[in-house]
Amino acid sequence: MSDLPGPEHPLPSPSLHPVTRRQLIRMLGVGTIGASGLLAGCSSSSKPSSATAKRGGTLTVGADADGYVLSGPSANVGQYPLNANIFEGLVRMDPDYGIVPVLATSWTLRPPNTWRFTLRRGVRFHNGQPFTAEAVKYTFDLIATTGGGGTPGFAKHGTTIIDDYTVDVTPTFPNARLVEQVVHPENYIIAPGTDPVKHPTGTGPFQFASYQRQQQLAVKRFAGYWGQPALLDAITFKFIPDSNARLLALESGSVDVMLIVPNQDAADLQRKGFRVGASPVGAYEAFYCNISGKKGYTICQDPSVRKAIEYAIDREALIKGIYLGRAAAEQSMIPSRLLGPANAAKIAGYTFDPAKARQLLDSAGWTAGANGVRSKGGKPLSLQLIDGFPSPDSHTGVPEFIQAQLRQVGIDVSIVVTPDNAAYSARMNALAGDLWLEQGNQNDANPAFLPALLFSKKGLFGGSSYQTMFAPGGTFDVLINQALATPSEAEVKSLVAQAMHVLIDGDAIVVPLAGIERIVATSSKVRGFDNEPSQLQVRYDRVSLAT
Amino acid sequence: MPYVARRVAYLIPTWLAITLLAFFIAQLAPGDPASVYFERLNGRPPGRIELARTRHQLGLDQPVVERYLRWLGHAVQGNLGRSYSSGLPVTHELLSRFPATLELATTATLLAVLLGVPLGVIAASRRNSLIDHVTRGASLIAASAPGFWVAYMLIILFSVKLRLLPSFGTGGVNLLILPALALGLGEAGLLARLARSSMLEVLREEYVTTARAKGLPEWRVTWQHALRNALIAVVTQVGLVFGFLLAYSAIVEVIFVWPGIGALAVNAINQRDYPMIEGFVVFAGTVFILVNLAVDLIYMALDPRISLGSQTVPAVG
Repeated sequence: MSDLPGPEHPLPSPSLHPVTRRQLIRMLGVGTIGASGLLAGCSSSSKPSSATAKRGGTLTVGADADGYVLSGPSANVGQYPLNANIFEGLVRMDPDYGIVPVLATSWTLRPPNTWRFTLRRGVRFHNGQPFTAEAVKYTFDLIATTGGGGTPGFAKHGTTIIDDYTVDVTPTFPNARLVEQVVHPENYIIAPGTDPVKHPTGTGPFQFASYQRQQQLAVKRFAGYWGQPALLDAITFKFIPDSNARLLALESGSVDVMLIVPNQDAADLQRKGFRVGASPVGAYEAFYCNISGKKGYTICQDPSVRKAIEYAIDREALIKGIYLGRAAAEQSMIPSRLLGPANAAKIAGYTFDPAKARQLLDSAGWTAGANGVRSKGGKPLSLQLIDGFPSPDSHTGVPEFIQAQLRQVGIDVSIVVTPDNAAYSARMNALAGDLWLEQGNQNDANPAFLPALLFSKKGLFGGSSYQTMFAPGGTFDVLINQALATPSEAEVKSLVAQAMHVLIDGDAIVVPLAGIERIVATSSKVRGFDNEPSQLQVRYDRVSLAT
Repeated sequence: MPYVARRVAYLIPTWLAITLLAFFIAQLAPGDPASVYFERLNGRPPGRIELARTRHQLGLDQPVVERYLRWLGHAVQGNLGRSYSSGLPVTHELLSRFPATLELATTATLLAVLLGVPLGVIAASRRNSLIDHVTRGASLIAASAPGFWVAYMLIILFSVKLRLLPSFGTGGVNLLILPALALGLGEAGLLARLARSSMLEVLREEYVTTARAKGLPEWRVTWQHALRNALIAVVTQVGLVFGFLLAYSAIVEVIFVWPGIGALAVNAINQRDYPMIEGFVVFAGTVFILVNLAVDLIYMALDPRISLGSQTVPAVG
């Protein structure tokens, strides 16, 4: 058997950079280990390995905290946020956000709002039960009972069995994006009548073996899999929430794969011979400007201030200095890989131009004061930046960088760190802040979801604080509503790109900073780990261990 | 009222105070649990109507005092509610994970006692010798070093460098060593310092001088005569250490992926799982006051003056 493909793109060779706190801890320790040679086809710093891929063996994966829901219709052990390949969806998403048939072989939209899926024949669940339309109805009806029906909006009586291998799905709202949404593991198909916690049963290449909450999930190869059988015998996912502990587990050989490698550790691991790969961009770092004018946060209502902020930030320096080169200079918010290069080019973004920023502020009447902070009519140009979504750790160094950059053009920024997502949400519900720093993920192939959810006037599921603070209405809403309604995949991408152009280039409500890559490290014996953008579609069936 | 009865009676107001703190401190934490709960189930923030519906579903729209009294009523019956994140009964979750924490805390306490007490006694009996200086220095470092740092250093040394012990997990003695050391070393330092100072104090007592004047060998003076009295303060401290380790093992449990109640609590805090946070505080507080009660009873056995009704308990520790 030949070697299997490597990660999407390996990281560049490590270069010299300041010692981080984590590295200091390590230096105070007792040295390092040396892992063996790197894999063929790896980074420029790697060396070809003589080892060959083989069938069998158990892979141990160091994963983040156990985030599974264990009760009610939302129970999702093995599905989300860690997809253990127990379950499969009607379709999946490839690393280019393309839709790939899995349990459905074809689908069509039957106007006005019904999707007809033709199902794959000859598929069995891990318990021997045949996969038919009944399982699709069972799963989607279950999701419908959660209240919202999931992001696709499954309705309680919205899934109809036409025959064993044909099923109609009519969501609660006109949803032309349903197929792009069902790639999400939350919508994967469950065997009817099975307990999703005690014995999760799907059709995937691996079947459930055991689960200990907040400890580990073990799966083993499913011999009756309809597709190409998995190469590994088994996988054990260890939940290690502390990233330092996860890193040490990799270095000690306790795990073969480390998911979610912090930027500052990537170069260090690479130096030690571990294979460190970055996915294509699957998330974004950005902050949003509060244009509501409520609760006294009125400054960002001035478009000149927002434009000045856009020009005042040196994104290349941010990527180089804070992300240590492990992020992309994307300003589209939605991954350009999803929009396509032509559409992504419709969003121009901003080049670093502090002189222009100053000029904009001057023209708007914000004059420089003695302390370097501008003011207008006695009101200082002071803004609050709220840091906390999904956690302050995910933005390490970014708020301070923004603060320093904006100070250069006379904007004073105070940073408010909310300790976690809950505190961030509470502050957001209080509408208390000018700039809101977030890292968002593109978890499905629907480019309209996040823009509609966060910035459309109506919101996708009713109004929230996002709508109050960030929704511009007008042209943006027209475009995004068209994008939600059009059945054409090409058209939706074009419409979303136009909408983001309005939001970023026109209104300057969103200040995109970088496209985020997911970093995964593996030991030298791991083959074929496909580090895809969302990390929800990793195919462990193609992973193997070298001899 | 006899000392034991009086001591047990004190438990009731103490426990009620714990429940009050547990409930109201959780309410004061920033963040709306309904929002977190919804986002966890649906993978997106709730709209306003969805948020209101979720708050109603979780009973969070009721007055806080009413919620507390209802919760307390259930708590006295051993029902601490259901976890928002797992949906399982909190009492069941805590009890199923308590043995792991107990195992870790017991081992760490044993390590602390076996390392700390002999070192402290030896250092005191050889005051100002090299071993005394080394013990004082080492115990100061051990007692001062943050637990997480000790844990990382132990993993780097024994797992990464020497490859002698696994860096995390449960199921065997070899998996218990590192977390127990990480948890117990700091306490060993404290006990060593306490044992040394208690021992020095006792060694200055007249009866020790008398024993020496009688010509008893120094080891008998130290280990048979002085140690017994010096241990009174140490026993009290050991009890507190044990209670402390039971309740505060969270950081070590998270780093070593130890399936105890500490790691459960950290997870609950991150997810604003109110019932679990409140349950943990009440559970840990209950364990702590029961351990303290046990210590007091042991102390009474060691010093019978207490059971004779004396209100004045000699200061120790």
